[in-house]
Amino acid sequence: MANLYVKAAPPVDLNRNTEWFTYPGVWTTYILILFFAWLLVLSIFGCSPGMAWTIVNLAHFAVTYHFFHWKKGTPFADDQGIYNALTWWEQIDNGKQLTRNRKFLTVVPVVLYLIASHTTDYQHPMLFLNTLAAIVLVIAKFPNMHKVRIFGINADK
Amino acid sequence: MITIPYVAALATYFSYGLLFVFGHIRDLFRKITDCFSSNNLQGYAPICLGNEDFYQRRLYQRIRDCFERPIASAPDAWFDLVERFSNDSNKTLKRTTRIRRCLNLGSYSYLGFAAPDEYCTPRVIDSWNKYSPSTCSSRVDGGTTVLHKELEKHVANFLGKQDAIVFGMGYVSNSAILPVLIGKGGLIISDSLNHCSLVNGARGSGATIRVFQHNTPSHLEEVLREQISEGQPRTHRPWKKIIVIVEGIYSMEGDLCKLPEIVAICKKYKAYIYLDEAHSIGAIGKTGRGVCELLGVDPADLDIMMGTFTKSFGSCGGYIAGSKELIQYLKYTCPAHLYATSMSPPAAEQIISAIKVILGEDGTSRGAQKIARVRENSNFFRSELQKMGFEVLGDNDSPVMPIMLYNPAKIPAFSRECLKQNVAVVVVSFPATPLLLARARICLSASHTKEELLKALEVISQVGDLLGIKYFGAEPKKHQQEEKMMKLE
Repeated sequence: MANLYVKAAPPVDLNRNTEWFTYPGVWTTYILILFFAWLLVLSIFGCSPGMAWTIVNLAHFAVTYHFFHWKKGTPFADDQGIYNALTWWEQIDNGKQLTRNRKFLTVVPVVLYLIASHTTDYQHPMLFLNTLAAIVLVIAKFPNMHKVRIFGINADK
Repeated sequence: MITIPYVAALATYFSYGLLFVFGHIRDLFRKITDCFSSNNLQGYAPICLGNEDFYQRRLYQRIRDCFERPIASAPDAWFDLVERFSNDSNKTLKRTTRIRRCLNLGSYSYLGFAAPDEYCTPRVIDSWNKYSPSTCSSRVDGGTTVLHKELEKHVANFLGKQDAIVFGMGYVSNSAILPVLIGKGGLIISDSLNHCSLVNGARGSGATIRVFQHNTPSHLEEVLREQISEGQPRTHRPWKKIIVIVEGIYSMEGDLCKLPEIVAICKKYKAYIYLDEAHSIGAIGKTGRGVCELLGVDPADLDIMMGTFTKSFGSCGGYIAGSKELIQYLKYTCPAHLYATSMSPPAAEQIISAIKVILGEDGTSRGAQKIARVRENSNFFRSELQKMGFEVLGDNDSPVMPIMLYNPAKIPAFSRECLKQNVAVVVVSFPATPLLLARARICLSASHTKEELLKALEVISQVGDLLGIKYFGAEPKKHQQEEKMMKLE
């Protein structure tokens, strides 16, 4: 395992905020973080595995919605604010829709939803919350929602 | 192509994730405590828009003591580093009066001209007394002295071009020239890892900018073909002018530009080529004439050659060399020539003397020795580091060698551990490099002796073992192998 090497060609993405997502290893890290978060929740709360998956799903919803679809711009000032009106989701792959990265990120909430609802045996209220989380996340990632601000929420001043 | 160990990539993503989470939690607490304290800043606009200072506050500030360290002597092979301490986790860094003599592996003085030199310094002091430290005016007003004229002639002869123009600042040589050379309706194709000054100049020009994959002539050809066939955006008229911008040595990778192939492609598609030799002039090539000499490209094939005097010549400022018509045009349009203060006369004299030393016109062979020494030093150091198992980027003969660190925690660790053993290195992280690829950049000089290099290698090897950055696995020592073979016999 220690001798596994990956080759990375420097990408042509100029946006330093999103180009880290094009390097190898990101998808694996994402999945591993979710898995270890589940283990952590299980050990802290001592609840059932299904409850733990629901908690991970809801926390994942809160975190990814905030960072991918709410926060706009970049965390550094070098690019002189050209991305200040775009959320992170709208910035990746230079705004190109339906790339491999975007498809992967759309599939993850759905898979999490399936795991969470299966392990809780489709009981309420967990099912309702999980479904809400999955629907909101997937709709936010539709290509038609690119740069759409519903009712002006989160629009620029 | 950079080879990343997979586990290191995963660990790096995880570390950055953790740092971001902690930064956001601290920001949340800061927002809560600020709710309670009132401030009388009604009606003032915020200094930072949105969250653009997040990286600066929460990540950079943690390791701020590794950057911008003040020195108290000239940056020769050894220099005096001023020690600093901080009582509030790097928000303020206070200088002490203690200094530390450190081995300098971070200066760009490739030929060792940053230190007082036996030929250059007396002449610089003479010109200081004769021409005063500043001309206090722009080149067109009263700022052109005989030194400036002589310097331009020397630079043009050194590079083999018809004429040259010099400016007082290297950064401005890029950012003020590009808007003058090309405007709206033109196309700039630049390498993806070009320096900030080229990016700013390109943005300021108003031309359309396209980027090609770093040092990949095939991708450049692809981009050129696509752009020439499509023409200008929306109107699809042919481009007025196409300039391809590349650098001689890329300062973050240490690799040389694939100049012969790129020149061939530019000739084929009739695009102009702009070569920025900030790091390669004076440091590579048999007589120090830069990347053209090393790779066997005729300087007449390059339309605009730009460079700086800050690195190999030990001075300040930049130059542009090209045809007589080009330089004449620049002299009456470029704002850096018309409005900016001209280069300081002693600085110009330093460059003239440095060029004379390099060409051997001072009567000694010190110039040729320096160039040979910097090449030997770079090749020796690079091969030793690679034998030890570090991942070192850059081509042979290039005096810039970045050592890959990847993990954000190793950046300050490498810097501080090396400093404890009196070796000063420069570490570079996001956003100057991509997020994953943080590195420590070593710049060698002709003034480093073999003993100093061996000491540096020893220190770096120890620190490398401590940090676990020998990603490629050290080669087994040769005499151990021979002993094993002898025992079998």
